[in-house]
Amino acid sequence: MPEVPVCRGLWAKAWRKPTVRWGSWLSLVILLAGIYSPFLANELALVWWDAKGLSFPLIADLFNRWSFPKYYDVYFNVAALLLPILLIGGWLLRRRISLGNRVLGGAAAVLVLGTLCLIPLIPSPSGMQPLWRHRLTSSAAVTTPHDHANTLFAPIKFSAMTLVQGQVLKPPLTVDQDSGRRFWLGTDSAGKDVAAQLLAGARISLTVGLVATGLSLLIGLLIGAISGYVGGWLDLLLQRIVEIMMCFPTFILILVIVAMLGRDIIIIMVVIGLTSWAGTARLVRGEFLAQSVRDYVAAGQALGLGPLRIMFRHILPNALTPLLITATFSIAGAVTSESGLSFVGLGDPTVASWGMLLEQGRQNIQYGWLIWCPGIMVFVLVSALNLIGNGLREAIDAAAE
Amino acid sequence: MYAYLIRRLLLMIPTFFGILVINFGVLRLQGLSFTEALSGGLDAAPGERKIMGSSSRLENLLDRFRAAGNDLPAVINLNGFLDKADIVAWLRKTAPDSGREVSARNQSEKSLWLVGPYAVQPLAEVLRDDALAEFHGPASQALTLCGYASITPLDLLSKERSQQLEVRNRELRKLSITYRQEPGKPFQTTDPDAVSKRAALLALVAKPANAADFSHDSRWSAILLRTGFTDFVVRLATGNLWSESKKEGVFSVISRAWKTTLGLNVVSILLAWMLAIPLGIRSARRLGTLEDGITTNALFLLWSLPSFFVGALLLHYFCTSSASGSAWFPNKDLTSDGSLWFSTPTFLMDVLWHGFLPMLTLSYASFVSLSRYLRGNLLEQFSADYVRTARAKGVSEDAIVYQHAFRNSSLTLITLSSGLLVDLFGGVLVVEMIFSIHGLGWTMLDAALQNDAPLLMATTVMSVGLLLIGILIADLLYAVVDPRIRSRYA
Repeated sequence: MPEVPVCRGLWAKAWRKPTVRWGSWLSLVILLAGIYSPFLANELALVWWDAKGLSFPLIADLFNRWSFPKYYDVYFNVAALLLPILLIGGWLLRRRISLGNRVLGGAAAVLVLGTLCLIPLIPSPSGMQPLWRHRLTSSAAVTTPHDHANTLFAPIKFSAMTLVQGQVLKPPLTVDQDSGRRFWLGTDSAGKDVAAQLLAGARISLTVGLVATGLSLLIGLLIGAISGYVGGWLDLLLQRIVEIMMCFPTFILILVIVAMLGRDIIIIMVVIGLTSWAGTARLVRGEFLAQSVRDYVAAGQALGLGPLRIMFRHILPNALTPLLITATFSIAGAVTSESGLSFVGLGDPTVASWGMLLEQGRQNIQYGWLIWCPGIMVFVLVSALNLIGNGLREAIDAAAE
Repeated sequence: MYAYLIRRLLLMIPTFFGILVINFGVLRLQGLSFTEALSGGLDAAPGERKIMGSSSRLENLLDRFRAAGNDLPAVINLNGFLDKADIVAWLRKTAPDSGREVSARNQSEKSLWLVGPYAVQPLAEVLRDDALAEFHGPASQALTLCGYASITPLDLLSKERSQQLEVRNRELRKLSITYRQEPGKPFQTTDPDAVSKRAALLALVAKPANAADFSHDSRWSAILLRTGFTDFVVRLATGNLWSESKKEGVFSVISRAWKTTLGLNVVSILLAWMLAIPLGIRSARRLGTLEDGITTNALFLLWSLPSFFVGALLLHYFCTSSASGSAWFPNKDLTSDGSLWFSTPTFLMDVLWHGFLPMLTLSYASFVSLSRYLRGNLLEQFSADYVRTARAKGVSEDAIVYQHAFRNSSLTLITLSSGLLVDLFGGVLVVEMIFSIHGLGWTMLDAALQNDAPLLMATTVMSVGLLLIGILIADLLYAVVDPRIRSRYA
């Protein structure tokens, strides 16, 4: 990959704006809250020290399928454990390896380790049980401390999946009589702690945003690049398709597909990605059209480089900046779409997403905290991303002048 | 001007067609119930509709599709293309020596006989093949299950035919060949009458002469080519689609709903324009003042505020009696009960009272983006040469803004509006749901939640149709405002 100086200069310029700084810090906080959600909200003790010795029930529980039934949770948990190590390692290696390579290496480490963690889950073809079984760790032994135990608990002493008997739709700051723990933001209609669900919801929203955006960028990039660089009848055809996608209200399309295929969070992410590439395709086409008349493209053609090489090794790095800006808006859009979809009752009922909480708020309309809490979270994440995107766009406009 | 109009209309045709295709493809994913709705039942004459029982069982449905010749091809329903090899693989999975757990084997067995009539012919082929003698026992048992034709009053079969089926079912049960399974060994036939039973079974399930041939290799071509798309388009065009959940024709459902949605959308886009234009102009003219800064930042935050959150909050604070003492606004519908007997002014006030919050929720998103865009575009115009020339000539500031700069900005504003219309048609769904307004979006959502594919399809096509008309109107406005287009098509 050739070095892209435009990007770095642009970021430095955008960083000077307070809005971009605020947006970035807010997004980072939400990302960290998502990654460390089991450490921030859990009924298990972080440290447990009694006569039997020292133990870390929460960390032991991180790779328990019972507590983390969704696959993407594995990646977040791996990232949570690796992040301090990677940060220290990256700081130590700061002189030897460039920043981009350190970030890439860290992401690769998380991916590889997360994938390795999934291997025991694959059922073997001979019909054997997966090695990694469900196990119950949330027994009373590590949730309620007795007299002789020194314990350290998370600030929110419920996990997003804990169902508390008899504590349905309690307002914020209610204390659970049985365990003496406080519901900081109340409970929902199933008796789950809202604050813990908000933290878990950050994971879902970020996953949806990133996966859907990745997919839509990929499709938009391919279609836009072919249509802009190859041109001809292919361009005409692809432009018609893009126009059709632009005319189709995306939300309705997503809704129809999800209603037909099933309410699974993976399906929802993929569908959002598959339906929202039209804007990206149009943008990439414009960029490629503008770049393809440049001298360096002609030089590449004269050297006999193939179209794929010219498109993706030479033109793409030059067209990358507007694409990155679209990506930030696109993540915000995907987060809104997922929440909206859950809100109208087509979300995945097995995950605690912000939209599902909002839907509960809609069904129990007199309980304001069920509307305010998830709504504010969606608003903060979406506006933080929009602030970044907006700042970058202004910086690019200024650079163009 | 007419040439422009016709050109725009012609361009719309492929778009509409493409949307029909996407819509059809998506709804095909659902398979069974949609095929059922399209075929209209076994005995339905072309164009005739019939209410189907919701309790139809799977094999019953499959049988019906087979007979109606309309069983192809729900995209994911690949069961129509089973062949001998598939069946053998399936039977092998149920064998005790396959190393699989009992529950997994039972699952395979169950999924085989759930395929029902689709498996009959390939099973018969297995039975016919002498080389596969070990599988004759399980295949015959699967045949008695798969070949069993249930007879329910819903089938509306002729008496003769139902008696025929009854006899066949009785025969089928007698003809299963007993066999033994032992771990580590293949199936062993233990039945002394195996040979005669096999012959009788083969005679019983012999392929009817008029049966369609769905071979294993032709499945992809069948899926791509014989999709029933023309059938769907004809039914859509003649208004012959049947809603399962509402138990009436989809167009009578839509005819009650579409006016509400159209009204909501038209009023809210007008509202958005009326608010956005003065605000945008004011903000652009006072560039750099505190007022401009506050407006710009407030609009930016509003822009990121999702409409479902706003709607839910409005519903919570203004339409719920427990939160605010007494509810200020009604929480459902666009009219009160008995509004038919209101006098005209009362009726209008009633509609306004009901529609205020929905309209607010619906229009603020488009209002915000319109005025943000207008401000940016006006600022661009202000720095343009023609504005400087006008200033130098001594044209008054108001004239510059309203006659020169705004006129140019309004072109892009109109272009933006067609994109906003798309968002509006998506957003109206959420708003109608929050405020329980029984419009097109509500119907669509209801259909989606109940898996009522024909209704969902028709409502989607209808709202996209309305949307395209809206875009056409925006294009026409563009031509009215822009003299270049008028002169080109003069």
